[in-house]
Parts: sequence; structure tokens; C-alpha cells
Amino acid sequence: MLFALFRRSLARHRALIVAVAALLSAFQILDIVVAYNLQANGIYAQFATLVPAFIQEAMGGVLVGSFPGAIALGFAHPLVMLSLSCVAIYLASEPAGEVEDGLVDLVVARPVPRFLIVTRSTLVYLVGSAAVVAAMFVTSRVTVRALSPATLTALPAVRLAWVAANLLAIVWCFGAAALAMASHVRERMRAAGTVGLVAIFLYLLQFGAAAWNPLRPSARVSPFHYYEPMRTLLGSTSPAKDIAGLLGASVVILVLAYVLYEKRDL
Amino acid sequence: MTEAVRTESLTKYFGAVVALESLNLSVAPGEVYGFLGPNGAGKTTTIRILLDLVRATSGRALIDGLDCRAASVEIRRRVGYLPAEMPLYREMTGVGYLDFLAALESRPADLSFRRKLLTRFDVSDIDLRRRLDRLSHGMKRKFGIIQALMGRPSLLILDEPTSGLDPLMIEAFAETVHELKTEGRTTIFLSSHVLSEVERLCDRVGIIRRGQLVRETSIADLRRDTPRRLRVFFDRPAPPLPAALATAVRRSGDRHWELEWSGPLGSALDAMQGLPVADIEIEPFKLEDYVLKIYSGTSGARE
Repeated sequence: MLFALFRRSLARHRALIVAVAALLSAFQILDIVVAYNLQANGIYAQFATLVPAFIQEAMGGVLVGSFPGAIALGFAHPLVMLSLSCVAIYLASEPAGEVEDGLVDLVVARPVPRFLIVTRSTLVYLVGSAAVVAAMFVTSRVTVRALSPATLTALPAVRLAWVAANLLAIVWCFGAAALAMASHVRERMRAAGTVGLVAIFLYLLQFGAAAWNPLRPSARVSPFHYYEPMRTLLGSTSPAKDIAGLLGASVVILVLAYVLYEKRDL
Repeated sequence: MTEAVRTESLTKYFGAVVALESLNLSVAPGEVYGFLGPNGAGKTTTIRILLDLVRATSGRALIDGLDCRAASVEIRRRVGYLPAEMPLYREMTGVGYLDFLAALESRPADLSFRRKLLTRFDVSDIDLRRRLDRLSHGMKRKFGIIQALMGRPSLLILDEPTSGLDPLMIEAFAETVHELKTEGRTTIFLSSHVLSEVERLCDRVGIIRRGQLVRETSIADLRRDTPRRLRVFFDRPAPPLPAALATAVRRSGDRHWELEWSGPLGSALDAMQGLPVADIEIEPFKLEDYVLKIYSGTSGARE
């Protein structure tokens, strides 16, 4: 029963997942090719000095003048982080969409326990966003291998995997929030739109905190605060604690989603 | 015997809006029950509470003696449901749609029965392979009926089942209901605005208005109790009214009477014996007349 629900939902969202995976993978290629050319022409370091320190910090220190910085940028660019967050948010908001267009009447009128709907959407947004990040990871490694094989030994796959896992943990947090919202409201765009705006706000909060000290304490509420791709990639820090914290927050929000969906009128 | 459907003081508020107010109704096993009411009367809300899609503010609903809230999954194993607005996964094919819904059932699908339904409702293999959003409204409705019936449920809840169907398919639907009725294993809870269909198919009707059940009765009782209109024509000037018909007369002309007669028609005919009657027109019983009076609040039904 869960498999049938999962397969159906994945089929409905397949085009979106494939399109975003293709776009963000293309972004990895573009990013690495540009960085490789900057490095080959010896102007990368000069270019990096032009970028203000607070912007570098806001992006997890990714713009330091190095080729690894460019690889990390592929996983820390605001476009990448927000696109991925939006995918997870949209996938997770399906329960509200089903209420909105009446499909829930067909599904829940059968012997389908309500918790399965939430479990289905959880699996879909986890798997969907993980598939996109996996495509980015593979594309990044393949492109680096093609252009600069020596960099591969300096930056082992496991470190890039930690970066990808950290990014996924952030994205899953927003997915959980969207699922909780969608378990309560009747319109998909209301659920997805609200959480999407919150994600943008929290990104700007983290960005602003890097430039303005008084904002720093409040930036702790932003999931983006717990993401340092450059340091992770260079092996100077382990993101395990941050990932655990983000996953813990996701679990708490998911429990809320189950409770809300169980109590609601469909 | 446990009722197939029972509601006890069922009440539902949507904010300040009262959708249902102390609704008490019961449906016997094997019965075909017509659930009638004007738009916004609370029919769909009642159905959605039975399926645990919506939760009652107070009171409770039972199916086969099981509480619709506490035992909702068990209840939904026994129910086939056709919503009034047929929701579809637009990108699916007909066969994919039926397979998906069958996969959500707790029992394995009876493919030979499904094939029989597809044949009866004239759904071809080509229709089965077409995308649902490319099908006509009537064809989509057929898929709706088939998905409700294909699990051989013991309770069928049908909301406006024949809306959009052509007369042939309405006939096929009626035939299916008659078969289920004859087998006696299926209770049918049917909401419809097509009163001729309700009159033809249902054993009993419940009429709901503004969230309250205003009348629950059998079609047979209604036929018996509803006054019938008779027009009596004479081939010469109408004779004086016999005492037995005096209270029934609504209008009398030179050569005819119009009567509204309650009770068995035999006694009215007896009273006309020996009169120079040329012809008698008897209007057939029409549920529509009765229901429209209740909808508009002009009937003497219990309020």
C-alpha cells in the first residue's frame, strides 16, 4: 500500500525532480569549468580578493581563492541551496494539494491509514531531494576528474559527501516544515509558498548576520547557519554535529506533521 | 440486527456554519437508501464523516456497528465510494488508475469482476489505455463507478452516481444496483438529485434540509400516503358530488372533477359507481412533487 502511494507520487513529480537534477548538475559543470579556467589563467586568486570577506563568510568561506572553493560553491551557491529547498518544499506539500483537488477522497476512502499519507510524502521529499544532490555529487566528481585529476586525491569523495549530506540535512528541514504546513492547510501553494518565503528569509538572515554582528545571535535559528561547505571540504571541520542537529529538528517537525494530519478534516 | 449505517445526533460545524445538526438516520443491511436534499443541505458532509474524511463536532456515525472514527480503517475495507466530483490523476491511463486504486485495497483485486463491469459500462481496451484527462466527462464518471464497485464492498456510498451519464449507461447502472439488491449482500447509500432514479432504485429515502433530517420514509409508504391527483371526465354535465368524494375535490367544471385522493384508490372508484364517467386520468406518484415541497419547506413533514 505504501509502495503504491510512493510510486504514484514519485511518478507525478518525476519531471520536476529530473529537471532540477539536470539543471543543478549543469551548474556543477559550469562552475567547475569556469573555476578551472580562472585557475589555468592564474587570475583566480585575484578574483577572490575582489569578493568582500562577509560574502565569503556568508557562503561558508567558499570563495577563497582556490579550486576547492569553486567545488564547494557548487553546493553552497544561494541558487543551488534555494532551488533544492524549493524542490523539497514542493514535494512535501503534496498532502495539501490532494485535499485541494479532492484526490484525498479517493485514496483515504480506501483502507489507507492517514499516517501512510504523511509517510509517503516524507519518503518522496527525502528521496527526491537526495536524488538531485546525488546527481550533483556525481557530476561534480566526474567533471573534476575530467579537468583536474590531481584535485581528486587532494579532495577525497568522502569530504564532498559530507558537504552534500549537510546540504541535504538543511533541505530536509525545510521539507519537514512544508509537510507540517501541508498537513494543516487546504491549499498546496499556501503551504509551499509560506515555507518557501521562510526559507528565503532564513537565508537572508544568515547572509545578513555575516555582514552585521547584531544579527549573529538570531542567525542560529536559520538552518543555513549550520553549513560550512568550504571548511568541510578542506577537512578542517566535521559537520556531523550540525547534520545531527538539523536531522533532529526535522524529526520533531515531522512528528508535528503526523499529529496535524491525524487531527484534520480532509 | 446491526444497522449497516447509523448516525446518532451527528453534528458538524465548520466555524460558525452549521453543516449538520443532530442528524439521526439508519440504514438496514441490504437496503438501497436514497439520501436527498438541496445543495448545501449537508449530504456530502454526512458521507465524508462516514468515511472519516471529516470529523464530527459531536455525535457519532457507525457502519456495521463500528464507530467511523475509532475503526475507520476497518470500515473503509468494507466501503466503496464514488464522490460527487470525480477526482482523477489526470496524467494516468484508465487502467493505471484502476490498478492504483486496487493496490490500495486490503484484498486482492477480482479482475474477472472488473472485466465484467468494464463490459457492462462499455469501456473498451482503447479507453483503458487513454489518459484520463483526454476522456469525456461521462467516461470519467464510468471509471468512477467502476472503481467504487470493483472491490465488491458490502456498503456502497454513491454521491450523484449518474451525473453526466447517457441514458444507456444510466440503465446499466440501474441494472447493476438491481443485481446487488437481489444478491442482498450490499447496502447502497445513494445521494442524488435525479429523483426519478431514486424513486426507481431506492427502498427508503431520508431527506435532509439545512443539516437536519426532515423526513425518513420508505418509497412504498410515500406511495401510499401521498395524495394522488385524479381527473374524472363525464360525457354529459357532471353529476352532484357523492359525499365520499366531497372532501377530495379540488376543482369541478361542467364536465369534469379534479380530485386529490389519499389512501387506496379503490374506495374512490367505488364512490363513482353508477356515475356517467367517460374517462379517468390518474397522475402517477412522483417523488419529485413530494421532495420539492419538503425542499421548499411547504410540506407537513416533521421539522
